[in-house]
Amino acid sequence: MAYLSTTNFTEDKAFIDKWLYTIRTGEMDLSWMKSATEKISPEEANPRRGLTYRDLNLGTYGYTDIPEKVRANRSYAPRGAEIPDGVPDAQPWVSRKSELWAFNTESYYEEAVSRQWNATTDIPWDRLEGVELPEVTGKALSQLMTFLTEVEMIATDTPAMWLPRLNPDFIEVRSFIAAQAMDEARHAEVFRKRALTTGWGLMQASPINEMALKHLRDADSFSEMSVALHLVAEGNVLTMFRFSEYLSPTDVDKKIFRLVMQDEARHVGYGMQHFKYVLEHFPEKREVLHAHLDEAENISFAGAAATELTEAFIILAGGGLKKENIEQGVRVTTQFNLKQMQEHFERLDKCGMPERKERSKLYQMYEMGRAAAENAGIKL
Amino acid sequence: MAISFPSTEYFEALKAQMAANEEKFRRLGFIDTTFGVSVGVNGKARNFVLEFEVFDLKNVSEVPAIDLKKVDFQIEGDSRVWREMIENIRRNGEADSAHDINTLAHFGERLKIVYDDPDGHDKLYRFMQSIQEFFDLSSKLEVSF
Repeated sequence: MAYLSTTNFTEDKAFIDKWLYTIRTGEMDLSWMKSATEKISPEEANPRRGLTYRDLNLGTYGYTDIPEKVRANRSYAPRGAEIPDGVPDAQPWVSRKSELWAFNTESYYEEAVSRQWNATTDIPWDRLEGVELPEVTGKALSQLMTFLTEVEMIATDTPAMWLPRLNPDFIEVRSFIAAQAMDEARHAEVFRKRALTTGWGLMQASPINEMALKHLRDADSFSEMSVALHLVAEGNVLTMFRFSEYLSPTDVDKKIFRLVMQDEARHVGYGMQHFKYVLEHFPEKREVLHAHLDEAENISFAGAAATELTEAFIILAGGGLKKENIEQGVRVTTQFNLKQMQEHFERLDKCGMPERKERSKLYQMYEMGRAAAENAGIKL
Repeated sequence: MAISFPSTEYFEALKAQMAANEEKFRRLGFIDTTFGVSVGVNGKARNFVLEFEVFDLKNVSEVPAIDLKKVDFQIEGDSRVWREMIENIRRNGEADSAHDINTLAHFGERLKIVYDDPDGHDKLYRFMQSIQEFFDLSSKLEVSF
């Protein structure tokens, strides 16, 4: 056990005596009723929406005035509560606002809660009855689902492991990160369920994919994790989900990908708004972010080109393994792959990092891939 | 009586259907986005701006041109493609796998998504199921072209 209470209460005579005294006499302390905290009257800005975190952005309870460096609270005391002597130091790793804050953080959380769905009951699984995909397509679909389950398991672990490290004053971000972990767990669930309903079972894990994913899990700072996970990895996965929806062989797969892309796009939205926030409020971090991106782009390039993924896409896009199927599959998959990179740089540009293209090796890969595609007669 | 497409009346009719199916849209969750729909008719475009808030289509307006800085994204395409999509929805009760928005627009070959800000563009995908089910309400309308 990593933390032991500083007192053994079951053997502390004074503590036990006070407990028994209260039972015996009913005499109360009531000092907590004199807390010198602010009295406010929050109201729903829009009754259709309900009482949101934004409606609570008032006075000492609000998030607008959280200082850049939170020094006053290192405990689990809720922001705005009176903090008496004796609360333990929860030792948060992240107590600097620009390390995790995003514009509109609170609305991303409200949206996440409102748009939760259920992989067991919201997918029309019954429509798969009688659906038999050709062996090659069925196995390719299962390989895609195997790959994505692998992705989503680390995508669940990564935000979850940062939760206890975030200062409790950042309750809106903590709530969003908790909701994200739930989203990713549901994605792992839905992809596993779909893999196992293809009739081919799971296919093969991907070493390159897992190497890329381990990078996300082992980030040294929250910002590094967010750049790698929310902005780079999930940005790529969002494009991948849209492509997968486009290629989906059944209406059931279409619905799965439409629902997962909603969650993924929300995570990317947080990532973009966080990235913008860091650049605006912590400009000296620009170089550090470039360094994070150097590494994140390297692994995302590798992950996106993993054989276990690319070949599944080529088969699904081409419809089989005949020469003409493969030609068609390579054409469409290349278009997707380049689109994925292009959208990544569009996001960075809009976030306030237009110079990224000049430095990025991924951008060099994009230009190389684009030239190769044009030479191969692939229309972009 | 058939509602003409493209027209403000068509989107107003979808708005009324959305309100009538409130439980379904509540289940899908908040939808907060403003986007444009541009329909090419004989070389000209008819443009509409749809403002969604909470669970509702709050406002529809026809405009001479869509300012991409004032909308999250715009879905544009020739009236023949829109007609094919709406007729498909009417036949099936919802878009089939070849006629949903993402499929029609994915590589910009049939419908095209245009945007100024990629964050706005991503809102199409953040609210994808709601937007799809909104257009799927066309199955409840009689539409003329």
